[in-house]
Amino acid sequence: MSANTEPKSMERRRFIRSGMQMALAVSLGGVAGISLLKSTSKNLVWQIDPFKCVQCGRCADECVMTPSAVKCVHAYELCGYCDLCGGYLKPDPNARSTAAENQLCPTAAIKRKYIEDPYFEYVIDEDLCIGCSKCVAGCTSFGNGSLHLQIRHDRCKNCNECAIARVCPADAFQRVPADTPYLIKGGFTKGSGAKGKEKKG
Amino acid sequence: MNRKLVNIVLVVLGLAIVVIIGKDFIGKKAGKNIANQYKYDVSEFRKVDSTAILFREAGTFAVDANEPKGIAVSGKEIVVVAEKMLLKYDYSGKELLRKDLPDTANCVTVNSNNEIWIGMLHSVALFDQGGILLKRWNSFGDRSVITSVAVSGETVYVADAGNRIVYKCKRNGQLISKIGEKDETKGVPGYVIPSPYFDVALDDSHFLWAVNTGRHSLENYNADGSIRTSWGKASFKMDGFTGCCNPANIAIMADNSFITSEKGMPRIKWYGQHGEFLGVVASPDMFNEDSYLAPDIAIDSDQRVIALDFERKQVRIFEKKADGNK
Repeated sequence: MSANTEPKSMERRRFIRSGMQMALAVSLGGVAGISLLKSTSKNLVWQIDPFKCVQCGRCADECVMTPSAVKCVHAYELCGYCDLCGGYLKPDPNARSTAAENQLCPTAAIKRKYIEDPYFEYVIDEDLCIGCSKCVAGCTSFGNGSLHLQIRHDRCKNCNECAIARVCPADAFQRVPADTPYLIKGGFTKGSGAKGKEKKG
Repeated sequence: MNRKLVNIVLVVLGLAIVVIIGKDFIGKKAGKNIANQYKYDVSEFRKVDSTAILFREAGTFAVDANEPKGIAVSGKEIVVVAEKMLLKYDYSGKELLRKDLPDTANCVTVNSNNEIWIGMLHSVALFDQGGILLKRWNSFGDRSVITSVAVSGETVYVADAGNRIVYKCKRNGQLISKIGEKDETKGVPGYVIPSPYFDVALDDSHFLWAVNTGRHSLENYNADGSIRTSWGKASFKMDGFTGCCNPANIAIMADNSFITSEKGMPRIKWYGQHGEFLGVVASPDMFNEDSYLAPDIAIDSDQRVIALDFERKQVRIFEKKADGNK
């Protein structure tokens, strides 16, 4: 038997010990690397991709804020300024008027203002809006889709794990740089993160 | 003994991790299946009395292209434009022609001489049956969005949704006049076109019909651009037109009755020559539930309605039921 030959049990112990040391070193290095990356990368905030949103209603109920930090926003350059607005009026309303019975919004958060025959402007009252997306569904189906949801960052707590993102059925929530925190339709075009012209039709 | 204890702790820890991950996964799934208490519900209006459906679907075939845009009938062939592509099919769906176009097509029509007129975004181009480019007009400008073309002999009507006007032109593209500008002396209310759906068609006397979608009406014009007549009303009910801007597409039958196609809640309907509701060609439940694009429509020589279903990327052929004559 040669002098440098060790019993098999000794070899195994040494292997396990060195393996554990290696694993510890890798995990410590990983944690340090991630911390370094986080400290040097841009701040990120949550935002909704309006082209992925399916108007499920979760934004109204799942946000940790009350009312929700998700609000309807209006891309005026896309709006048809319609008299018969699918986002403002209930389907088949009694009249095209501001009467509560004709309004689609459960909190009357959309204000209708006459411009000239037959055009009307629609403005969102964000204090009343609960982000239920009922108007977004009406506008997307029967209008140009100018009404859409966005997280308002003057209200959002920017939770580490967004409570709405967890249950969003369309995975429409994404992290975006804090210095460009909005994905507004018109400026933001489907399939691109860059500003561009809204696709017609 | 110690080793046994460590093993037990490790197994318990492992099980705990599996339970937490599993619960989180199931919780997420359950969360994604919550009913929507704010649902925008138009299901009531999707229901159609079966006796009102006067057509039946006689055939269908797939269009092998990414973004179909418009449909027309040329004799016994069906012409489809899609993105930068001109396609021709027979009624069985066999592809007869596939030609690249110089620009993205928006709409297509075929005149009585079997010439193919294609509306691009800003201009109009003329092709022969083999898909060879014969003529291309100058652009109507960057604001223009050409959505429909109708041809009567030497006169070509071009609908521009961007400028909300119909151009009356010669075959070479020379502008003769503009139709539809607000003019109270001619009784013209002006077009309200909130979205890029703006269709024109000609009746058997070659008078122009144009949709005024924001007013939910069809308008008929004299050659000088004055209004002859108009009809239409806004309603979610079957006899009216829904949403901000409908009917999106129209086609005129040989007896001057109208076929209309709507967006939002897609449905194809049949109206008499004076605008009286006759019945339904295709009810909303014949389209995908989440579909909101208005099918483009054309009429063939057998008075069948040929529809281009954008969601399913299909050509769908509807013919009158045996007892469907009104």
